Amino acid sequence: MAKPTQLKEEGNRRFQAGDYVMAEALYSQALISDPHNPALYTNRAMARLRLSQWDSAVADGAACLALAPDSMKAHYSLSQAHLALRAHDDALRHALRAHALCVASSADHKSLGPITTHVLRCKKERWEELERRRVRERSGLEGEVLGLLEERRGVALREAEAAGLDEGGRREVEEEWREKMEAMRDVFEKARPSAEKRREVPDWAVDDISFCVMVDPVITKTGKSYERASIVEHLRRQPQDPLTREPLYASELRPNLDLKQACDEFLQENGWAADW
Amino acid sequence: MTVPFAAKRLGKELQKISNSLPPGVELVSAENFEEWLLDIKVLDDNPLYQNQTYRLKFRFGPSYPIEPPEVVFVQLPDRPIPMHPHVYSNGIICLDLLGQQGWSPVQNVESVCMSLQSMLTGNSKNERPPGDEDFVRVNRQRPKDIQFYYHDNDV
Repeated sequence: MAKPTQLKEEGNRRFQAGDYVMAEALYSQALISDPHNPALYTNRAMARLRLSQWDSAVADGAACLALAPDSMKAHYSLSQAHLALRAHDDALRHALRAHALCVASSADHKSLGPITTHVLRCKKERWEELERRRVRERSGLEGEVLGLLEERRGVALREAEAAGLDEGGRREVEEEWREKMEAMRDVFEKARPSAEKRREVPDWAVDDISFCVMVDPVITKTGKSYERASIVEHLRRQPQDPLTREPLYASELRPNLDLKQACDEFLQENGWAADW
Repeated sequence: MTVPFAAKRLGKELQKISNSLPPGVELVSAENFEEWLLDIKVLDDNPLYQNQTYRLKFRFGPSYPIEPPEVVFVQLPDRPIPMHPHVYSNGIICLDLLGQQGWSPVQNVESVCMSLQSMLTGNSKNERPPGDEDFVRVNRQRPKDIQFYYHDNDV
């Protein structure tokens, strides 16, 4: 039987070639003789993600974390699988963890861009899910209240009849209730956030390089903030402040925590802005 | 699916400039995220550029805006190449802002157009760069690969 390392390398080759079924099988074989190798789990998780096998990708991610709790790739795979399974809170939690690990490690800088994009996607999909729920709940309440009014109207009409009101009197009662229901519908209509409401992203939330809402804003010596992934990418090519052209190194960047919180809060209310 | 960096940002720039552009700058076409055409005019009464419109061609690579776009003037029957000591007669522009060193990712299509407008506005010399004829005859390089020698900084 082939050695686990050979199986893994052959698996990687198959993965590169796009043969995810074979890659998955090779990683599985390698795991039989080497079940404590975290990289085998993350590699198989990635193959399973490509095969849309979300649940087993989650299992691999979890198995890897049990062996290596700070595996950026495991958190990233878990986040992608959870997102596909619409477990939005888990997806975001693992995405943020992957992002933090990526920032902390100098070896993973290539992943910073894709992970930042992925965090934004998690935030957006989570917001959309909440928004759908809000809409459902709102229309549920509206139906319930209108139903109650309808019932009350029926009672009032029966009482009017019992009290011996004539045709004109009954019509008056009916008119009164019709107006009440109309007014109630109006109230709901006004409370509905109009779809045409102008959706604007405030400039302070937008990174001047990628033009996206910031996930992890960092501030330069001159006091200007950028998305970490964007400015780091720029500084790798040219260690200069984009505005002043003074020398600037990635190590001099500092997280802008208040702005990060403001961006987080803005996205929580305006998830659509994640792919504005 | 992940959208390439450049396409995402260009989509947003396009959204913005489709709504409003500064005076004297007009979007001609932006069919894709590789090549855009814009027209610029010089708005003051500099006699060198009176009543003329110039066509600019922007080409974007996949790492725009980390990498600068390639920007050249294009000649058409009604769109001449402006006379300027930093503009070769084949439309290639020698401007540090567009070079690897001078570019900054906070620049954008709109700001480049405005810089070119002001580069023309501030010029009073009715001439081409030194060695224009030779350069135009022999140059086969893409503008971004040319090592420009910045003759002077006061133009």
